[in-house]
Amino acid sequence: MSGFPRVIPVLLVSDGYLVKPVRFKGEHYIGDPINAVRIFNEKQVDELFICDIDATVKKTGVNYTLIEEIASEAFMPVGYGGGVASAAEARRITGIGIEKVVLGTAALTNPEAISEVAFALGSSSTVVSVDARRRLTGGWDTAVERGRRKTGMTPVEAARRAQELGAGEVLLSSIDRESTFSGFDLPLIEAVSQAVTVPVVALGGASGYDDFRPALDAGASAVAAGSMFVLNGKHRAVLISYPTPSQVRALSRP
Amino acid sequence: MNISLVSYGLGNLGSVVNMGKRAGAKVTLVSTPDEVLASERVILPGVGAFDEGMDRLQSRGLVEALREFAASGRPLLGICLGMQLLLDGSEEGTSPGLGLVPGNSVRFSESAGVRVPHMGWNTVEPTRADPLVEGLPDDSRFYFVHSYRVVPNREEDQLATTNYGGPFASMIRADNVVGAQFHPEKSHAFGMTILKNFAAA
Amino acid sequence: MSVVDRETRSYQQCTVTVMDTTDPDIEFDADGASSYVAFFNRRYAATLERAQRGERSDELAALVEKIKADGKGKPYDVVIGISGGVDSTYLTLSAVRLGLRPLCVHFDSGWNSEAAVDNIHNLVTSLGLDLYTQVVDWREMRDLQLAFLRSGTANADTPTDHAFGYVAYHQAQKYGIKHILSGSNLVSESILPTAWGYTSADSKHLKAIHRRFGAVKLKTYPVMSSLVRTLWYPYVRGISTHALLNYLPYHYSQVKQEIARDVGWRDYGGKHYESVFTRWFQGYYLPERFGFDKRLAHYSSLVLAGEMTRDEAVALLAEPNYPEDLRVQDHEFIAKKLGISVADLDAIIASPPRDYTDYPNSEASTKALFDFTARVGGILRKLGILR
Repeated sequence: MSGFPRVIPVLLVSDGYLVKPVRFKGEHYIGDPINAVRIFNEKQVDELFICDIDATVKKTGVNYTLIEEIASEAFMPVGYGGGVASAAEARRITGIGIEKVVLGTAALTNPEAISEVAFALGSSSTVVSVDARRRLTGGWDTAVERGRRKTGMTPVEAARRAQELGAGEVLLSSIDRESTFSGFDLPLIEAVSQAVTVPVVALGGASGYDDFRPALDAGASAVAAGSMFVLNGKHRAVLISYPTPSQVRALSRP
Repeated sequence: MNISLVSYGLGNLGSVVNMGKRAGAKVTLVSTPDEVLASERVILPGVGAFDEGMDRLQSRGLVEALREFAASGRPLLGICLGMQLLLDGSEEGTSPGLGLVPGNSVRFSESAGVRVPHMGWNTVEPTRADPLVEGLPDDSRFYFVHSYRVVPNREEDQLATTNYGGPFASMIRADNVVGAQFHPEKSHAFGMTILKNFAAA
Repeated sequence: MSVVDRETRSYQQCTVTVMDTTDPDIEFDADGASSYVAFFNRRYAATLERAQRGERSDELAALVEKIKADGKGKPYDVVIGISGGVDSTYLTLSAVRLGLRPLCVHFDSGWNSEAAVDNIHNLVTSLGLDLYTQVVDWREMRDLQLAFLRSGTANADTPTDHAFGYVAYHQAQKYGIKHILSGSNLVSESILPTAWGYTSADSKHLKAIHRRFGAVKLKTYPVMSSLVRTLWYPYVRGISTHALLNYLPYHYSQVKQEIARDVGWRDYGGKHYESVFTRWFQGYYLPERFGFDKRLAHYSSLVLAGEMTRDEAVALLAEPNYPEDLRVQDHEFIAKKLGISVADLDAIIASPPRDYTDYPNSEASTKALFDFTARVGGILRKLGILR
């Protein structure tokens, strides 16, 4: 496959602030999202995902003002997720300057939303987020609402469903690995990548640039990380970082 | 340096306006035939399906306006779906296109060993020197997101190629009408160079 | 005298440095040299010369020994505040070379430039150092920042500067560290007219301005009282601060090359360009609203330190150091971040500036306290009670 693998920071927003949750419980305050986006933009980041974790859980709805401020600082593709449930909302978001819409809870509990959004925006702008949690007995479940509810589907089933309904990309997160800096869940990535033909973005567990190649080899088209790009060192100091263009290029298969 | 950006309900206008501003140009939204015809240079953006794009242009009377604008010799840049609309048609739909560049759009085939859509960063190789690609560094890369690729009838209309399961035309030019399959407004400094060059056209 | 009363004093510029009458307190001698020259020669020249010749190495070695001894058994010997700029980067590299084990601390004001963040990252990564970052609820920071702009006082960078001291002291206390290294240095900072900006350390002043012009309660923003800053941490907690760079030969061109080579430092142009706010503040806000350019002080310091000739300084000052398109971009960004319109920001800048003395401050009492503690300290030292 030609084209470079993408390396994507995932920023989580709560109440207009940038936060970093620890294992979906509690939040670590990071700062102002606008400056973070500006810095990533100057670092020539491939792409950025911004997820509003309040929007779905607290039902606060889409924060269009914040999206507009973010979009005006980003000259690369930005995906936005959080509380998007209809084509009208999706259209409004992309009209502001956001490249893709990430459907999470809405998608898996109301599958027609995926088709509607995909029809309105095109598949390539429609991403479905699949959050996976390991079962004690082996395999994984898919959860929604920031891990609070199980859907009864496996990640493979959820990803396949999403593709059938028109999603152009799957954002696959490992709930267990998030913020642990213990590496990606490679078997999870492999299972889902083999089940669909749309690009799969792997998220959850990245601790360093060395973790990216294995995830790509397992079948991911892109790698994403939250903590790694905004926290530094043993004191988890807030500091934005991102690989240089040559480091990103080095991830391409020769 | 004035750029008119066609607003027809599809496409990422905010980003083009923002980047245009950073590039030193004045970007105004236009949505009527008169406005298009009064413009110095026009950008036709677009994201989504071919037929929907043509329908929306048609219902606004913009199909004729854009053809007339192109015939007047003034610069017209089509981006992403906007570029595909410049040709005669597309496998994706049944509507005829603007017909400003002879050719059609076809779907990428998974059999070539690639995932569809083509989504991500890729390099662009100009086939010749051209004011639109002037000043691009060797490591330039651009953001693509599309499932269909253009196939111009005339080889000389191909301005640049990109490799994705084989080479395809990523930029086209027929006189004053140019197209870019990638999104310059999402391609950082590289995209900015393209827009700056277009603004100076 | 205040910059606000810009009376018609005929323009004059120092013949030795480039300081001029935009500093209302400046005085000139018969040869046209400003009072700063005499002050520098009297107070700093000897020390600086010895440092530049490497003659302070014994003092430096003694200091390092003391720091190491005090740091035994602790995870770190020193705390160093870093910003991504030349001074703090070279300071950190020097500390490591001297065998010290620093904890790097940084205050994230929300205005970090990409270059600053990159420099910090490269520094801690290449030297394998631990980093602590203090963040403040952005809404509080924004409100405080706006309050200072609305107050019309010259030191609108107080919100960021005031917090720096807290972060270093707080982390030092946490780990029982007795020493902080500061990047301040005589080469580039020996001159700073009081009329060009009141100290950021005055918490009474900060709180007064916040009370008058601010709206958001300060809960996460670290306000540090002068008492705590001047008495508690230094004397009760025994944490001393050392300007280590003043013990070493410090030549900018050589220093910049070294840090670029050894810790991946990137030059982003302009002192203080590590903060978008600071570059706008010094490059536009101060000249526009108050009529002075801090580069004069910076270059004059370099001239007195022998790092730059006066002619070079004059040539640099003639160059516009803040390209207009960048300035406009920053201006819009700052308005956006502060949550106001560009028109509102322009209106603030157009309104008359004020002097810090127009607002409550503890200048008089701080000076008295300082003198008192210095005197007591002197006595205690004589009695052998204080080292």
